[in-house]
Amino acid sequence: MGRTLEKLDSINRGELSAVDNVWQALERIEKLDKKINSFIELNSNAVAEAEAVHRRLQRGEKVGKLEGLVIGVKSNLNVTGLRATCASRTLDNYVSTYDADVVKRVRAAGGIVIGVNNMDEFACGSSGETSAFGPTDNPAAPGHIPGGSSSGGGAAIAAGLCDLCLGTDTGGSIRNPASHCGVVGVKPTYGLVPRQGLIDLGMSLDQIGSIAPDVVGAALLLETIAGKTQNECVMLDVDKARYLDRLGDGVKGMRVGVSQKFRDLTDPAVMGVIDKSVEKLREFGAEIVDVQLPNLERGLTAYYLIVSVEFFSGTRKFDGRKYGKRIEDVCGEEVLRRIMRGRYISQKEYRGKFYQRALQVRTLVRQELMAALEKVDVIVGPTVPKLPHRLGAKLTPMEMYAYDYLTIPANLAGICAGVVKAGDVGGIPVGVQAQGKILGESDMFRVMHVLEAKA
Amino acid sequence: MKEIERSAQEVIDSFVEAAKDLPELKETYYNQEAYNVVSPDGEPTPEKERAEFRKRFIADMPGSDDQGNLKVEVAKWAER
Repeated sequence: MGRTLEKLDSINRGELSAVDNVWQALERIEKLDKKINSFIELNSNAVAEAEAVHRRLQRGEKVGKLEGLVIGVKSNLNVTGLRATCASRTLDNYVSTYDADVVKRVRAAGGIVIGVNNMDEFACGSSGETSAFGPTDNPAAPGHIPGGSSSGGGAAIAAGLCDLCLGTDTGGSIRNPASHCGVVGVKPTYGLVPRQGLIDLGMSLDQIGSIAPDVVGAALLLETIAGKTQNECVMLDVDKARYLDRLGDGVKGMRVGVSQKFRDLTDPAVMGVIDKSVEKLREFGAEIVDVQLPNLERGLTAYYLIVSVEFFSGTRKFDGRKYGKRIEDVCGEEVLRRIMRGRYISQKEYRGKFYQRALQVRTLVRQELMAALEKVDVIVGPTVPKLPHRLGAKLTPMEMYAYDYLTIPANLAGICAGVVKAGDVGGIPVGVQAQGKILGESDMFRVMHVLEAKA
Repeated sequence: MKEIERSAQEVIDSFVEAAKDLPELKETYYNQEAYNVVSPDGEPTPEKERAEFRKRFIADMPGSDDQGNLKVEVAKWAER
């Protein structure tokens, strides 16, 4: 049945109350999280909120899709009364005065926010090591990085500290930790989920998505948070999303794309695990089709130019005048590196030398992915080209950025992409990535569901 | 600091090298063309909700003067 449905079922049948579910989560966090460090702050009202949900359930009221489930929220999303620090000293005393739209939707559906998850500082990182509150360990491969930047969310789900997590993904920040921690992570189509209440890394690339122990949980959370709102200026015209209805339809007759480019960029040990996943899809009736993505890798440096410019622009408000501290005075190395790069590009941008050119490369990567997705329903391949390094190992910035080769293209193109565990290499999880069309989440989830069942 | 500056520059140099043979194309700023920039005004927030928001804001703000106004810390770069 899967962890999420089992939990919902026992809450529905009254075997587990929403209050007990919260207490169990708090006990596990108390016991395990000193070592893992996946939460920055816990919600002191969580039990009271669970009691309110419990009372509504006892009165026989319809509560919502997430009734009584315990939810972790990444620290770059506003939750009333909790600190939205982005895991930075810049905002370490900044308390949110409102709920982000996605948090409002989670609460309205009966979800209980248990606390705020650790992350890479301002989402600048792929390892979970750049947080001002200390690195996060990987419960699925202790001593290794959990991936980032939604490091706390990935680790919390892997350790069973909460039921579901909200993460954000700008260049792979949900999918990368999902792969390293052996859980499920989904970056939705750009414009499907409102970003209101998110502290941006790159406004043209960020999307809020789900991290879950299983595909059902990821689909359920995305159904809850998806859909347009007037608070958001860049949104698709979608009222509601439904994925669970077609989740079990299988992949018979679906066209699944694979690319030689994935093999060229990926560690052979990781690729061996992915090949088995592709073979399973073939066995279950999918047609495997080769697709051409000749310039896929060129997206990496273009992305880092675009995101640096957008980040530089977005962080000018952190000047320490009205709240918090001046970002350049207190931030870590990677945040400073991106600010400096963004400032340099903004100053030197004449005749479209850097930023404009990077936006052209974005067009190229987007066109190639769109052309490939005209021939197939989804593209399946690896998530991260290599296995996670040990916590504390020294990597150059370019070596660190190389984790993002295979996740960045989906952000540049605005398409949806999801990750599910495919297997492991020497006990370290490896996630397989399914990339779908614009608003192609339903097909993407069907493929992920088959891959999950057969992993 | 010099090392951070150097590594910040490294990606720009790699990009220039990677993009040199690529064709000129139209730039993609946002992936979706449908912007909701002229969304109609909704109903104003109820006074009760606004009062609660003010209360929360005042409770959370780092400092206030005798009249309850937000006390702003002046950024270092603005000091003479």
